Amino acid sequence: MAARRSRLELVFDILSSIQNKGGIIKPTHLMYKSNLSHKLLNNYLEELIGKELVLIEEQIVRKKKAPNKTIRITDKGLTFLAEFRRIREFTDAFGL
Amino acid sequence: MYRLFSTPGWFNGWDIVIESFGFIVALFIALFSWRIYRLHKENRFAYFSLAFILVALGLLVKAGTSSILYFTPVRDVAADVLRPVAGAGLKFSYLWYRSGFLLHMIPMLGAWLLLFFISQKSRARLHKFHEVTQMALFIYLILLISIVANFKYFVFYLTSSVLLALIVLNYYKHALNLPKKTNSLLVMLAFLLILLGNLFFVFVFLQNGLYVIGELFQLAGFLLLLYVYSTVIRR
Repeated sequence: MAARRSRLELVFDILSSIQNKGGIIKPTHLMYKSNLSHKLLNNYLEELIGKELVLIEEQIVRKKKAPNKTIRITDKGLTFLAEFRRIREFTDAFGL
Repeated sequence: MYRLFSTPGWFNGWDIVIESFGFIVALFIALFSWRIYRLHKENRFAYFSLAFILVALGLLVKAGTSSILYFTPVRDVAADVLRPVAGAGLKFSYLWYRSGFLLHMIPMLGAWLLLFFISQKSRARLHKFHEVTQMALFIYLILLISIVANFKYFVFYLTSSVLLALIVLNYYKHALNLPKKTNSLLVMLAFLLILLGNLFFVFVFLQNGLYVIGELFQLAGFLLLLYVYSTVIRR
């Protein structure tokens, strides 16, 4: 059985899911890609928005009452991803 | 001049350069690990950082001790400073060498032991190896206690070698469980080179040229650690 993901690993999974989709993703897709529940994803997204790692974009679509929401990764988010990959490489290399 | 073991005269100074290089590499790794600790708040990163700080400290003390012993002006200044405390009949080189070697030994052994514990992970598929390494360590410690009464410098290098051998084994086991093994195997190789260096130091009492080979192996080990560190950082 795989070990539980740490908080930082969850953040990494969310951000890398967005990056893999070209930097922009729909919330439902993100939920499936990062393997998180709706509630948990929203909690993490709030935190990521607060830290300016992602931002929410809204598009008004005709025939729809509510606007379409998409999540975009920021430059700060991309920097964080690069740093996290470096850390993962270090921990793998040094057996941590 | 009192020495625990003799080293080739022409190599005096070069060993300080190697020790200083190892000090810088260990410090780089310790600082990066500390940065990860501040981000993750997981103790293993703090322990890993502490282990490499201890390596750096041990190497710094050795470089400092050697520079005072090799370079007469530095030795005279240090002797002048200590003479009011230690008295006129100060057997300076003896005192300095003994305390310097002790202050080099304690952090180095602490660092290797800490690295051994950090790298020690129980994995189901390697359960037998895990038990064997633990038993081997305990047997060695019992033997060591019986030898330590007749203290000789090589007991330190022998202990370091045993701990380093266990670290190498742990890194080998770690690499087996990774899909991308290159960096992990390089780290294992780096510790293997440092281990070989320590094994050569054990036999310096037979032939002082072995000290040079030991130092060169140590240099190669730290060079490899620097290479792995720089490939990780450059990503």
